[in-house]
Amino acid sequence: MTTSTPVPGDLTVPCPGPPAAPAGRRTPRQGGTVLAVPALVWYLVFMVGPLIAVFVVAALHWPGMLQPVSFAGFGNVRTVLDDPVFRDAVRNTAVQLAVALPVMIGCAYMLGYYVAQKPPGHRVVRYLLFIPGLISTPAKAMVFYAALSPDGLANGALESAGLGSLADAWLASPSTALACLIALDIWAGIGFTAVLFAARLGSVPDELGEAAQLDGAGHWRTMWRVHFPVIRDYVGVVTMLQFLWTLFGSAQHVLLLTQGGPGSSSTTLSFLVYQKAFIAADLGYSQTVGVLLFLAGLAGLLTIRRVFRQTY
Amino acid sequence: MKLSKRWLPAHVLVWSYAVLLIVPLYYFLASAFKTNDEIFAHPFALPTSFGFGNFRTAFDSADLGLAVVNSALVTVLALVVTLALALPAAFALARSTGRLASLVEQVFSLGFLIPTFAALFPTFLLAAATGLFHTRTFMVLFLPATAMPLSVVILVQFMRTIPREMEEAARMDGASTYAVLRHVYVPMCVPGIATVLLLNFLTFWNEYLYSLVIIGPDPAQRTVQVALPTLRSITGTDYGVLTAGTILTLVPVWIVYTVLQRRMQQALVSGAVKM
Repeated sequence: MTTSTPVPGDLTVPCPGPPAAPAGRRTPRQGGTVLAVPALVWYLVFMVGPLIAVFVVAALHWPGMLQPVSFAGFGNVRTVLDDPVFRDAVRNTAVQLAVALPVMIGCAYMLGYYVAQKPPGHRVVRYLLFIPGLISTPAKAMVFYAALSPDGLANGALESAGLGSLADAWLASPSTALACLIALDIWAGIGFTAVLFAARLGSVPDELGEAAQLDGAGHWRTMWRVHFPVIRDYVGVVTMLQFLWTLFGSAQHVLLLTQGGPGSSSTTLSFLVYQKAFIAADLGYSQTVGVLLFLAGLAGLLTIRRVFRQTY
Repeated sequence: MKLSKRWLPAHVLVWSYAVLLIVPLYYFLASAFKTNDEIFAHPFALPTSFGFGNFRTAFDSADLGLAVVNSALVTVLALVVTLALALPAAFALARSTGRLASLVEQVFSLGFLIPTFAALFPTFLLAAATGLFHTRTFMVLFLPATAMPLSVVILVQFMRTIPREMEEAARMDGASTYAVLRHVYVPMCVPGIATVLLLNFLTFWNEYLYSLVIIGPDPAQRTVQVALPTLRSITGTDYGVLTAGTILTLVPVWIVYTVLQRRMQQALVSGAVKM
């Protein structure tokens, strides 16, 4: 701090009269720290405050906006854990993460490596890879809706290929609804993630790859044994980002494409938070799931960080 | 490094993914000029005529014109608020060497770990409590808060590169703190400001869930992302209209991306990983 002027031997005593001291001598560089206050207040009111409120509401019994509120303590947690719908949601989210994340990160890393080698046409590929990063969630959902609805593209293609018997209501069938959502995650996730990897791989010195090639390593080995360890922590950070986006962002995809159904076959945890709050009006339940989701996010982040810790 | 013939499978895989990205766009663009019958019969044929009938229907049936205006209004005003808050904050944090300032900076960078979605319901309560529920005003105030961590961190990085002598020289000439910000720092970190504007333009324009919950479905207020999904119908979607509507929501983003391609790509890459 600039205001305290510690005297030797007097370090434990806090300096009480701050600005009186060297006002004239000091250049007024510090005159602006107060300028950070509005942004900080804004951030605390709109972001941190609501986040804390999640934990408060989670401890309440609140069966609807206009209903009386009572304290429930850990009662909500018990209700949530005993609910088969919640268990379905946990399972669906686990499947979604277990399939989408490895496929997305693996493919995106290889694709990023490919683009970073600057093969013919790499500029076009790069331009296209940005597309999923630019279009909005509703627009992406409309793409999948047009492709997978009963009279959509996929069924049309199957029928014209003479395979009409394979046609299905993809988004409304219990066995495929979740798979469709995962496909959307992967389709949209690979492109932009690959761009990030390509950018990072572009700053790895060329000599590294060339040396490996001289030693007789193919591109496959170079990619995984030489470049991957170098950008390992970066891969970890990108994985953390995609993990958070998939874990929390799936509510929008579910809402737009399947509404969690049929039954609860495509209900994910984040959609359950939304659904219980704004459709079923069981607010304590919703926010309890919110707290569990938050804890899951935290645990996931720590795990990913451990897995991708730089090993040299 | 040369790519040998053994890379053929890689080329094939990469370009098939590229096709998966481009085909939906082509399909949407082509279908926007067709009727449902034409779409079902020849989904990938070029349209036979280029009438704007579907676009007009999309405009009328979902009030898309109004929705575009609402989206533009919310986006632009939220961008103004974001800069008005983030520029002074970054200015203060970049110049300060105190412990308090570095603590504040850490608070902001922790914000990357808060997923916006987590606090949807309490934010809704906040909107109700302030009497701003079902208004665009709340979104104009709220969106900058979600953008604050990224915007402040990016701007601080740019402002740290400005030599202190610049400020000292201005001070010699009697410049106030505000004048230093206005005439020294802002002009020198225009690239940083552009990055912040581009990134936030994308997130604000594309924002869906909060707009849906807080602004609500009222056609006079709703944004284009909320209006778009209403073009589907259970009784039989008119794909021509749906695709025309989708294309309309993409036009502003596509224009910005094409005009500022380089800058936009840099912004997206640098903005994604700031942890």
